[in-house]
Amino acid sequence: MTIQNRDKFLDHLAERLGQPRHQLADHPYQQLNDLPQQTLSDRSPAELLTLARKNSEALPVTFYEVAPVELPQLLTDYISSKGGGPVLLPTTERFTDYNLTDWQASIAATETVNYWQPDADRATNLKAAEIANISISFADFMLAESGTITVSTNAGQGRALHFLPTHYLSIVPRSRVVARSTQAVAWYEQERAAGRLDSSAIHFITGPSNSGDIEMQLVTGVHGPLDVTYVVVDD
Amino acid sequence: MGLKTSTLPFTERIADAAKDQFAHASIAKAQDTQYTKRENARAELGHWQDWRKLGQSIRQHVIQYLPDYLEEFSDNVEKRGGHVFFAQTTDEANDFILNVIKQQNGHHVVKSKSMVTAELDIDKKLQALPDVSILETDLAEFILQEDDWDEPSHIVFPAIHKNRDQVQTIFKKLGYDGDNDPEHMARFARKYLRQRFLEADIGITGCNFAIADSGLINLDTNEGNADLADSIPKTQIVVMGMERLVPSMKEAEIMDNLLARSAVGQKLTTYVTFEGQQSAGESDGPEDFYVVILDNNRSKALGTEFQEILQCIRCGACLNVCPVYRQIGGHGYGSLYPGPVGAVLSPILGGYEQFGELPFASSLCAACTETCPVLIPLHNLLIKHREVETDRLKMMHGFTDFQMRVVGKGTSSPFMFKMALRFKHFGLSPWTHQRPVTATNFFEYNGAMITNGPGMVGGWTDVRDLPSPPKHRDDFRVWFKHHKQQGGETK
Ligand code: SF4
Repeated sequence: MTIQNRDKFLDHLAERLGQPRHQLADHPYQQLNDLPQQTLSDRSPAELLTLARKNSEALPVTFYEVAPVELPQLLTDYISSKGGGPVLLPTTERFTDYNLTDWQASIAATETVNYWQPDADRATNLKAAEIANISISFADFMLAESGTITVSTNAGQGRALHFLPTHYLSIVPRSRVVARSTQAVAWYEQERAAGRLDSSAIHFITGPSNSGDIEMQLVTGVHGPLDVTYVVVDD
Repeated sequence: MGLKTSTLPFTERIADAAKDQFAHASIAKAQDTQYTKRENARAELGHWQDWRKLGQSIRQHVIQYLPDYLEEFSDNVEKRGGHVFFAQTTDEANDFILNVIKQQNGHHVVKSKSMVTAELDIDKKLQALPDVSILETDLAEFILQEDDWDEPSHIVFPAIHKNRDQVQTIFKKLGYDGDNDPEHMARFARKYLRQRFLEADIGITGCNFAIADSGLINLDTNEGNADLADSIPKTQIVVMGMERLVPSMKEAEIMDNLLARSAVGQKLTTYVTFEGQQSAGESDGPEDFYVVILDNNRSKALGTEFQEILQCIRCGACLNVCPVYRQIGGHGYGSLYPGPVGAVLSPILGGYEQFGELPFASSLCAACTETCPVLIPLHNLLIKHREVETDRLKMMHGFTDFQMRVVGKGTSSPFMFKMALRFKHFGLSPWTHQRPVTATNFFEYNGAMITNGPGMVGGWTDVRDLPSPPKHRDDFRVWFKHHKQQGGETK
């Protein structure tokens, strides 16, 4: 039995509330106002990108905007600036979308490169993430309001890819820079409802891991990556 | 530890709190820093009052239809392949969790910060198991664990009462040989904890919001430890209060925005995660996903004048504006849930016998109500508790009739209290003296301090000057703005 003690528990709550169970279908939640949808809705794509950069850099995040053709060199330079591999990459078609297949071959010739493998077991993929100096992910969205990237877990891009490596870079297309979390969540809900997304984890990541737990002094890199880089690619 | 964090009487607890000068100074500093960050973050968002109404409407709706939302959520967890256990009491919850760990043959448990697991006192139960290790991985909770399981003193910053030298001493026991720089100590903790994460087979996390229509949970953190706890171990146990539901991701996202701005003045916390039972083809994340939904007397608030306290999203903003919390700190309350939220919630969860003093540990200045992102009328609920205690239960709590009249009923009516403010130091002026106003003592009410007051006040002023009520026209924001414009010091 996967649900235990439910009916007794819920009957008790209904009794306390003084109303029978199963009322929700007739009383669904109606959003009180449209502030989430309206906030920043007047900004143009160019303004959103400017805002995204400003808010990301304040976190602090290193922020690049590049043309697709510049992306391979930027990634190579980034890897060498962080001291090289091991590099952890996702297994995904997006390398092809971004014309990065040649880059994949060239970087593997000079650095240790591991992939988050769809067919590998937990221990193998976690080991690759643990030893990685750098990981690179493909984001679904960038949120201008907060300087956030959003990523969803799948067989080729696991959860720990975003958290265990020391340095973290995420790539997002310019057309996916949206105003705020509202737009990203609407998309994830729509994809889930349509059965196109069966991810068990969606992460909104806003800069490097940090803590103010010792005398409220903000320090970065407590558990997750020590630093974070976003790359917005023209599309 | 559980809900009750001290066996000392209230007066002794606040006497102890008064002796801790560092804790007092750091709480004052935190309140002042958080004030600016929080208000800036809210102002930047704009239409803050309408956002609060939106947050309130979501939380009120969920509480009103709680049985249905819990049913929907548990059905969806099950559909994803997970398990849900409804626990009426902490004992039931603990038994279930220990049983899961045994069944899963778990040996290394990592925990991310969760107030509800502290309510369960599960750490102690796990420590008692011979072949199970337990590690708190939130930096603050880790510090407290390594300091012989010291008690948290804030719901967002649990180790706010510890200074860097104390942390250095604690870490030295673990082999740290560096200086007292927080960055260096955090790096040490990272390395120490990372190894333990990698060997963990059970992850225990809290839950900011459970999403009814998907069976996922929503976690808001800054360090990333919760994400490691839900990625690496094969088994995840989520422990949540029964009221922490939202209808869908859409409402979770709204609450995440309100929470981050109110808790730490961020637009979003560093990691906002929606996660659950591993999907087909994925290799990390929980293969075995358990959710424990705890009542532990929360249901006593349902259908009563205290129902609104279940709207709480544990942002801690009410602690950060509270003049009483500023004076007595988290430990002074003797409850896992301190500050205004704790003064309302603790008597509901633990009863008036244990926590009957807490509704009186308030000046009823209403700063808590004014800051709450989900519009919980905290100071009115404190007054209602006082009414229950004095009128319905006829409780005395060691206060004399005279003391109760002055302290309890004298402040139990909003009208009376407002009148007291309007007449400046109504009934208290004989005990006051004046000091220059600073940001530190603003919360002590414009420098007018009661040094030798009556009743409950008397017990308190034995150890610390009690703030006298502010003049009616003043509030902290007006003062702060004016003072900043004059280039004044704010801490
Ligand atoms: S009562 Fe309101 S202000 Fe206090 S912690 Fe709860 S949500 Fe935050």
